[in-house]
Amino acid sequence: MTEKDFICLTPFLIIAIAPVVIMIVISVLRNYKVVYGFSVLSLLAALGSIFFIFPSVPHTIEPLFIIDAYSLFFLGIIIFSALLVTFLSYDYIKQLTGVREEYYIILFTSTLGAALLAVANHFILFFLGIETLSISLYILIAFQRSKSNSIEAGIKYLILASVSSAFLLFGMALIYASFGTMQFGAILEALASHDQLSPLVIAGFGMMMVGIGFKLALVPFHMWTPDVYQGAPAPVSAFVATVSKGAVMAVLIRFFFILSGFNNHYVFVIISAIAILSMFVGNILAIRQKNIKRLLGYSSIANMGYLIIILLTGSNKGIQASIFYLISYFITTIGAFGVITLLSTSENEAEKLEDFKGLFWKRPWIAIVFTLSLLSLAGIPVTAGFIAKFYVILEGMKAGLMLLIFSMIINSVIGLYYYLRIITTLFSSSSETNLPELSLFGNITLAAVAISILMLGVYPGWLIDVIVRFVSL
Amino acid sequence: MDVFFYIAAVVAIISTVMAISGRNAIHSLLFLILSLLAISVVFYLLNAPFIAALEVIIYAGAIMVLFIFVTMMLNIGIERETEKKWLRPRMWIVPSILAAILLLDLILAVKNIRPVSNGEEPILPKQVGISLFSTYLLGVEIAAILLMAGVIGAYHLGSQKKKVKHRFLEIK
Repeated sequence: MTEKDFICLTPFLIIAIAPVVIMIVISVLRNYKVVYGFSVLSLLAALGSIFFIFPSVPHTIEPLFIIDAYSLFFLGIIIFSALLVTFLSYDYIKQLTGVREEYYIILFTSTLGAALLAVANHFILFFLGIETLSISLYILIAFQRSKSNSIEAGIKYLILASVSSAFLLFGMALIYASFGTMQFGAILEALASHDQLSPLVIAGFGMMMVGIGFKLALVPFHMWTPDVYQGAPAPVSAFVATVSKGAVMAVLIRFFFILSGFNNHYVFVIISAIAILSMFVGNILAIRQKNIKRLLGYSSIANMGYLIIILLTGSNKGIQASIFYLISYFITTIGAFGVITLLSTSENEAEKLEDFKGLFWKRPWIAIVFTLSLLSLAGIPVTAGFIAKFYVILEGMKAGLMLLIFSMIINSVIGLYYYLRIITTLFSSSSETNLPELSLFGNITLAAVAISILMLGVYPGWLIDVIVRFVSL
Repeated sequence: MDVFFYIAAVVAIISTVMAISGRNAIHSLLFLILSLLAISVVFYLLNAPFIAALEVIIYAGAIMVLFIFVTMMLNIGIERETEKKWLRPRMWIVPSILAAILLLDLILAVKNIRPVSNGEEPILPKQVGISLFSTYLLGVEIAAILLMAGVIGAYHLGSQKKKVKHRFLEIK
């Protein structure tokens, strides 16, 4: 390890050391505020260190890591989302009974797992990252162990994620058995030297796709999504929907583009089918849904369906569009789950449609943020979601993916129906429910989300410029 | 000699099928141990003695023994009858026969053949150690963080609520 290696690993070191420090602090003094403050500061430091290491990239640490502008972008998105989730968690976790400080330790380890995926250049790091992320997520999902919903969700995720990890690992093993290497670049060379792929390799890639599809909740591996979103604490649902999916997407895009998967006819057909199925299944299941958390779960299935269209464009422009889409989707989803988090109390999770009835007349500010998030998810102009969808459609059209783009447009219309249904509920006549007091941190997060959604919707140019300037594979 | 491999593989398959189809937890666990032992014989025949030893030590040894301990401890109240039930010949006769076959297979294999060598030297613990702590050092450290997350989670999810009763008020 050289000095440059250490410099390039700074964000990871910070995120890895923070949970250990928290653990030591807890053993001396169990104070929620101290732990919380330290967590926020560490995440801020990790975020800041990304700018600090930006001049020293691209840099590879053989054989596992590749740190380039692309991975730093994803790293930034991941850590920033983790920070927003931490802001949202303050009151929600504080009101829980029993020990609460462990939440932040696990939040750090899961963020570390996600961050590692963004820099993975090797199956070993890919797998370690995914496992660190999953094991932490089992705990976060089942964190309120007095609630049967949480335990059910945790066990569901545990069993299904273990099976999907087994698939992923078996796929990796088959590819390693055929090529004798696990590094992405070396696999490309091995692929180039074989003109006919052996069944072993095809089976290997297929099994890896199962594992990745599970983590992204793509149809037909989506069954766990609504249950886990419903059972997990609201900030954790936000984390699962954003950080965990974004990180897997980062490694999928890198792997796919390095191997030029879009040139293979079969891969093209399979990814198209998965994308179209995810869009339709996600949106159609969401239509009749009365539980907002489940509804957001289905909507995230559809959103991942839109996003993997990008894989088939096969251009750097496509990657840039995907990063913009992910940023907008992250902000929006955190906004929506943030509203649920702020309205929830320890006894009552605000997840049913009735809980939001007439919210505008009682808490206009929260209702406006929620409306903005939903409009952005639906892709209405002046919000970030519109620009993101527009960008994806533009790149898709350029690559000539007409069928995919048409199903995306049809699905946006279906999606509009159930998003607007929630919005009408927000503005309907008020019902008698008492809402919890709003917290400072929650307000700051929601304000940040609302401003970003509008800013990216009205003036997206600067972000697109930054992405286009730095990101390519 | 392929025949040794096939014997071990068949034992592995039979015992795994029995493990997942059994109704009795202890019975299943016995078969699972057998399946792991059979797989380690396969590893040995594939010229990988180190991984074979690890398979025995870690899986068949540590993890499965832990499993059996936990399962037996959960039945602590009704130990007499369950223990008798577990020790009936019907329960242990099949695993024992399979294990005997496996043992015979291994002994004959060790006596009759050198493990298949496809021109490669077997990988020894020293090489594994060196590569773990040089090339893949960062991976090992990440694995440590992973385990830490697991331990904290197990502690959090498994911890019992403290009783607030005073000790004089507790009924013995």
